Amino acid sequence: MIDVPETATSSTANKLTATNVDVYYGTFQAIKHASLAMKAQRVTALIGPSGCGKSTFLRALDRMHDLTPGARVTGEILLDGENIYGPDADPVVIRHRIGMVFQRPNPFPKTIFENVIYGPRIHGERSHAVLVETAERALRAAALWDEVKDRLQRSALDLSGGQQQRLCIARAIALNPEVLLMDEPASALDPIATSKIEDLIGELKAQYTVVIVTHSMQQAARISDDTAFFHLGEIVEVGDTNQIFTHPREKRTEDYITGRFG
Amino acid sequence: MAVVAARPVVSGLAATGNVRERRIADAIATVVLWVMASSIIVLLVAFIAYMVYLGWSALTPDFIFGVPRATTAGGGIGPEIYNSFYILILTLLMTVPIAVAAGVYLQEYEHAGRFRNVVQFCAESLATIPSVVMGLFGLLIFVYLFKWHFTALGGALTLTLLNLPSLMRVTQEALASVPDTIREASMALGGTKWQTITRVVLPSAIGRLTTGVVLVAGRIFGETAALIFTAGLSVPYNNPYSLNPMRPAETLAVHLWYTHSESIVPDVARIGNGSALVLLLMVLLFNLAARVLGRQLTKRFTGRAE
Amino acid sequence: MIGLRVAAGFVILAMAALLFYLSYEGTKTFYVDRFPLWKFLFTTTFDPDIGKVGAGVFIVGTIAVTLFAICIGGPFGIAVGVFLSEIAPNRMTQILKPAIEVMVGIPSVVYGWLGLTLLVPLIRTHTNSPSGFGLAAAGIVLAIMILPTVITLSEDAFRSLPGALKEGSLALGATRFQTIMRVLLPSASSGLAVALILGIARAIGETLAIQMVIGNATQLPLGIFAPTAALTTEIVTDMPGATEGTLLEHALFSMAFLLLLIAMLLIVFVRLALRRRT
Repeated sequence: MIDVPETATSSTANKLTATNVDVYYGTFQAIKHASLAMKAQRVTALIGPSGCGKSTFLRALDRMHDLTPGARVTGEILLDGENIYGPDADPVVIRHRIGMVFQRPNPFPKTIFENVIYGPRIHGERSHAVLVETAERALRAAALWDEVKDRLQRSALDLSGGQQQRLCIARAIALNPEVLLMDEPASALDPIATSKIEDLIGELKAQYTVVIVTHSMQQAARISDDTAFFHLGEIVEVGDTNQIFTHPREKRTEDYITGRFG
Repeated sequence: MAVVAARPVVSGLAATGNVRERRIADAIATVVLWVMASSIIVLLVAFIAYMVYLGWSALTPDFIFGVPRATTAGGGIGPEIYNSFYILILTLLMTVPIAVAAGVYLQEYEHAGRFRNVVQFCAESLATIPSVVMGLFGLLIFVYLFKWHFTALGGALTLTLLNLPSLMRVTQEALASVPDTIREASMALGGTKWQTITRVVLPSAIGRLTTGVVLVAGRIFGETAALIFTAGLSVPYNNPYSLNPMRPAETLAVHLWYTHSESIVPDVARIGNGSALVLLLMVLLFNLAARVLGRQLTKRFTGRAE
Repeated sequence: MIGLRVAAGFVILAMAALLFYLSYEGTKTFYVDRFPLWKFLFTTTFDPDIGKVGAGVFIVGTIAVTLFAICIGGPFGIAVGVFLSEIAPNRMTQILKPAIEVMVGIPSVVYGWLGLTLLVPLIRTHTNSPSGFGLAAAGIVLAIMILPTVITLSEDAFRSLPGALKEGSLALGATRFQTIMRVLLPSASSGLAVALILGIARAIGETLAIQMVIGNATQLPLGIFAPTAALTTEIVTDMPGATEGTLLEHALFSMAFLLLLIAMLLIVFVRLALRRRT
C-alpha cells in the first residue's frame, strides 16, 4: 500500500483519484491495492514490464471492465470528488468526461467526418453547424486538420496508421472530455508518427488531464510530468517524472529503469 | 492548438436528460430482443407439444409396424419407416465417401486456383437448388431416361446429388477446426501429406465430422420433394420390406405429404398426426445422437472433451 | 490424390448434367411446342389443355410469398442474430442455439403439416378468408422456416466484427443499443446481405411446406388471404399427373430450369456481396 505522495507541485488539483483499487478477473487478482492521484493539466505516465497491470488499471478508470463478464473492480475512483463506481454513476456520462484512445487505431468504417463527430452525435448533438465546427476544432487539436480537410467525406480506413490514430484522438477530443486515457497510443506506429503523437500529447495537456500507459521508458521520460511504476499488479512507486528516473526510491523501480528486467 | 470548447461541460455522474432518454431506449430495445429470442423457444416447444398431443394416440404398434391401406382406415407406416432408413443408408453409403474425399481435397490440397473456384461455385449452386428441381432431374434421368421407373436407388442417387454440397461443407469445416500446428508437427516428423491427413487430421476432426454427418442424415430422413418423383408414392405389396433397391419406396416423409394431398382413406388425420410425430421424434433423435456421438468420438480419438 | 480430385470434379459433373438435361427438357416448351419464351415468363394464363402455359402467375406467386417471408423473417432473424452475438448470456445461448438447430432439422413436410393443422384453421376463423389457405399462411410458414438461416448467418456476421469497434463506440459513451445501430449493423452490412440473400434462396426453393398451405389455385395472389401457387408448388401439384411428352410436362420442366438459373444467380449475388466486404 503506497501513500499518495504530497509532492511539492501539488497546488494543481487532483482530477482523478484512485484509492485502494483491486481488479479481479474471476478469482485472479490483476490489480492489488492501487492508489494514484492524477492531476489536472498534467501527463501521468504508467510504466512497468508487460503484463504488470498498467492497461488493466487504465481501463478501470473509465469503467471499461464493465464490458468484461467476470471482471470485478473494488475500491474508489473519484472524478472531481465523485466515485465513478458509485450507485448513481452512469458509465455513459463517465465516458463522456473521460475519453480513451486504444493501442491499435480503431476508426469506424465510416467517413472521417462521421468518425470525428460520432461522440457528440450520440450524446444528442443534432445541429449540423455545431457538428461541423466541432469536427474542425477536434481535427485541428489532433494536428490532423490540414491533412484531411479536403477529404472529410472519404472513408477513415483509407488513412495511414498514424493518421488513423490521430483521428481516434480527434474523435475522443471532440467530446471535450476532462480526462484523456491513452493505452500505448503510439506502440503500433512508426517512429515519425510516434513523434507526432508525442508532440500532440504535449499540446493536449494544456487542456486535459492525460494518463498514458507506455512500455517505453524513454517516452515516459520525454512527455510525462508524473510517473507511476507498476509491477505485478501493484503500484510500486509514484512521483515526479524527473525524480523517478534520476532518484528512484524503491529498488524494484531502479532495477526496471536500469534495465535489469522487463 | 487546442481551442477551448464552446459547449457547456458535462458535470456530475448521474444520468440526466439525454442520457436518461438513451438509457430508456436501450432498455426497451433489450426487452424487445429478449422477447423475440424467447418467442422462438416458446414457438418450438409449443409445436412439439402440440404434435405430441395430436399424434400420441396414433402411436400403436399396429400403426408403427402395420402396412398402409389404400382405401380403408387402419393403415400403418411400417414399410415407410423401413424405406426411410433404407434410402438414408443407401444415400449415405454413396454420398459420404465422395463428399469427404472432395472436402479433403478442397481443404487440404488445393487452396486456390481455377479448378477450386469452379468446384466451389458448383457446390454452392447445388446447395441452393430447390429439392424439387433435383427431384425433376432424377425423374428425367432415372425414371424416363434409364427407364427404371420408381426405385429406391433412383431416390438415393438423387439425394446423393442433393446432399453432396452440405456434406462437403461439413467435411471442410471439420477439417478447418483442426489447428495447423498439428499438421505442421506431423510434417516436421517426416510424415507425408497423405499420412498427415489420414493419421492425424481426420482423427482429430472425426467428432465434428460425425456430428455434421448425423445432422445431415436427419435432413435426408425428412426429405420429400426429391423423392416424390424418384422413389415414388407406393410400396410393393408382396414384399414391403424388400432389400431390392430397384423398386418403389415411399418414405415416411413422402407418405405424410401423400396422406394430406391424394389419399382417400377416412382416417387421414390420424395417420397424418402419427406420421408427423414419428418424423419429429426421429429428427430429435438424430439431433441428440449427433451431439452425443460427436462428443464421444472426439474423446476417443483425441483424448479430450470437445 | 487423383482420386480426391476426381471426387471434387464430380460436383462439376453433377452441375453440368443438371444444366444440360434440365435445359434440354425445359426448352422443349419453346422449340417443340412452340410456346414463346416471353409469354411463358410474362403471361399469367396457365391452362395446358388449351395450349397456354403462362408461368407468370407462378413467378408472381413465388415473388409474393418470398417477399412476405423475408419481410417478416429478415428483420426478425437479424434481430435475434444481434441478440445472440451481443446480448445473450451463456445460459440463454445454450438453450437458444440447440433450439435453432432443431428447427433446421424439422422436415419441411412437418412444417407443412403444422401449417395445415394449426395455422390454416386459425386464419380461417379469424379473417374473412373462406378456407384459410393462401399467401398469408404460406408466407408465415416460410418466414419461420428461413429464420434459422438468417439468424445463424447474421450472428456470424456480427461475431466476425473486430471487438475494437464495439469498444471504441462504448468508450465514447454510447449505449449498447446505439453501438449496435450506429456501428455494428452498418459494419456487418455485407455479412447481413449474405444472410438475407440466402434466406431468400431458401424461401424460393421451399416446396412442400408451402404447397400444403398455399391453396394451389392457378391464380394471381389477389389478396394476402387468397389461395395461389408458386413455381415449386405447381411442380409438385401437377407433375404426378403429367404425362411424358405433353405440353404440361415440358412447361413444368421449364419452370424447374428457371429455378435452377435463379439459384445460380443468387450464388453470384452472394459472391458479389462477399467481395464488397474485402
